[in-house]
Amino acid sequence: MSTQYSILFKQEHAHDDAIWTAAWGRSERDGSETIVTGSLDDLVKVWKWSDEKLELQWTLEGHQLGVVSVDISHNGAIAASSSLDAHIRLWDLESGKQIKSMDAGPVDAWSVAFSPDSKYIATGSHLGKVNIFGVESGKKEYSLDTRGKFILSIAYSPDRKYLVSGAIDGIINIFDIATGKLLHTLEGHAMPIRSLTFSPDSQLLVTASDDGYIKIYDVQHASLAGTLSGHGSWVLNVAFCPDDTHFVSSSSDKSVKVWDVGSRACVNTFFDHQDQVWSVKYNGNGSKVVSAGDDRAIHIYDCPV
Amino acid sequence: MASFGWKRKAGEKVSKAAVQLFEAEAPEEVSVDTGVDWLHAIKRRREVLLEDCAAKSKRLKDEGALLAEQAQCRHWEAIRRWEEAIQLTPEDACLYEMKSQVLTFLKEVFPAVQAAEMAVRLSPRWWESWQTLGRAQLSLGEVDLAVKSFQVAIHLFPTDRSLWEEDLSWAMKLQKQRRAIEEQARLEEETAKQLLAAPELIPDYDFESDEVVAACAAVAERQKEYEKLKNKTVFVSESGTVETVCESKDSSTVPSHQLFVKAR
Repeated sequence: MSTQYSILFKQEHAHDDAIWTAAWGRSERDGSETIVTGSLDDLVKVWKWSDEKLELQWTLEGHQLGVVSVDISHNGAIAASSSLDAHIRLWDLESGKQIKSMDAGPVDAWSVAFSPDSKYIATGSHLGKVNIFGVESGKKEYSLDTRGKFILSIAYSPDRKYLVSGAIDGIINIFDIATGKLLHTLEGHAMPIRSLTFSPDSQLLVTASDDGYIKIYDVQHASLAGTLSGHGSWVLNVAFCPDDTHFVSSSSDKSVKVWDVGSRACVNTFFDHQDQVWSVKYNGNGSKVVSAGDDRAIHIYDCPV
Repeated sequence: MASFGWKRKAGEKVSKAAVQLFEAEAPEEVSVDTGVDWLHAIKRRREVLLEDCAAKSKRLKDEGALLAEQAQCRHWEAIRRWEEAIQLTPEDACLYEMKSQVLTFLKEVFPAVQAAEMAVRLSPRWWESWQTLGRAQLSLGEVDLAVKSFQVAIHLFPTDRSLWEEDLSWAMKLQKQRRAIEEQARLEEETAKQLLAAPELIPDYDFESDEVVAACAAVAERQKEYEKLKNKTVFVSESGTVETVCESKDSSTVPSHQLFVKAR
């Protein structure tokens, strides 16, 4: 276990074009660590993380346009990807085969997120609706209406109570999953919210926006708990650490920052990418971070635990 | 001579205490004075200059926009205005972007792509510059690059409907057409190759036998197939490219002009 932040591994030219999205999963079956990336080159790639290096396991073809978002089910068996061609595809990570392809309708698939039980996939739509697809059925099961604008980002709370969406106009909507009711509408930012993440205890919500700020909300009271500045440009992605005390952010300013929740301070900045960093994620125990961006590279960082 | 004398006299007449006092105060006073003065003067001057450049560039930009919205014969004047403005404010992506739009309109496709590339480099998060780059690339015939540029624009700003409905869907249609044509060409080439290296021609024939007749029949059959394929290909590629050309003219002029009227 390392005691300081450092870059561990760089995979240059991981894709032929900008990488827009990445996810880190752990197989429940054999404990193997998998990273999935999606790119403007229409491909989804599956990488194995073992012996401190990445190995390409599958190149998944099928999307007709750039891959906007990927997520991995909580048991590590299935990956979901969405692309600009408005299709959500489900992939078996072990065999590298496509399980399902779901047509979400024009412009109706952006961020994808597995529900905590991995039975559903939520995605935002251009009319402000959150559509919930069944993983088994491959069909739209129901939808939640924010009555707002294009939804760029989506997150489920780990305690299975809430679903939040972030819109292009900076509005955050918090839904109660059990009743399907809209609980809170927060005017969080005045600019697009490209990413949201819950703390593992589901108490805090962290949002990232084009306005360059990161905001922390108390979910229970729907109140603002802090505004963090430090990035010099759009904040593109945020992800909470499983230790409940840190989260990581990536930005158009080419940096990746690790923040301490208690002190609201940036504890480390990685300046290793050559271009904007679209995606950043923690691994299952919070000891590693993966980031990827327009420079087509995937970076893995070591974090003290 | 007189002034020299006066200086010496003055020095002699002033009391030692007064001189010391003067000397102690003097350097400080002088340095403060000149320092402040010069700094201010230089600063003010630069500010004035910068303001001038920005204001003048803005005026040229607006003039160019007005000219571009008028009849076609004034488009070059607009470009000249913007080029002048670029000299004054070389970091303004908007100028390159507008220039690219008008160059595309004037069918100056290569300079249009160059200008749009500059706009994208200067402000990579401005979706409209990517849209303009895509349109310029499309009129240059770089369909694949255009599809990529439109996708980047959408990824930055997914709510603009024209990006999805006009730009991306149109570029993708062209991409499909082109791929179909390439596939046809490949098939044709393959058949032509087989025609030249027909397996029936290789062995040494006994010219009296029926084998020759059979081989001739086979070659004739092959040739017929090739002709058929060739006719089909010509038909497809002609309709495809002709259609492509006239439609691409429509799309590259009309929307870009509309968009231009919208103005940056």
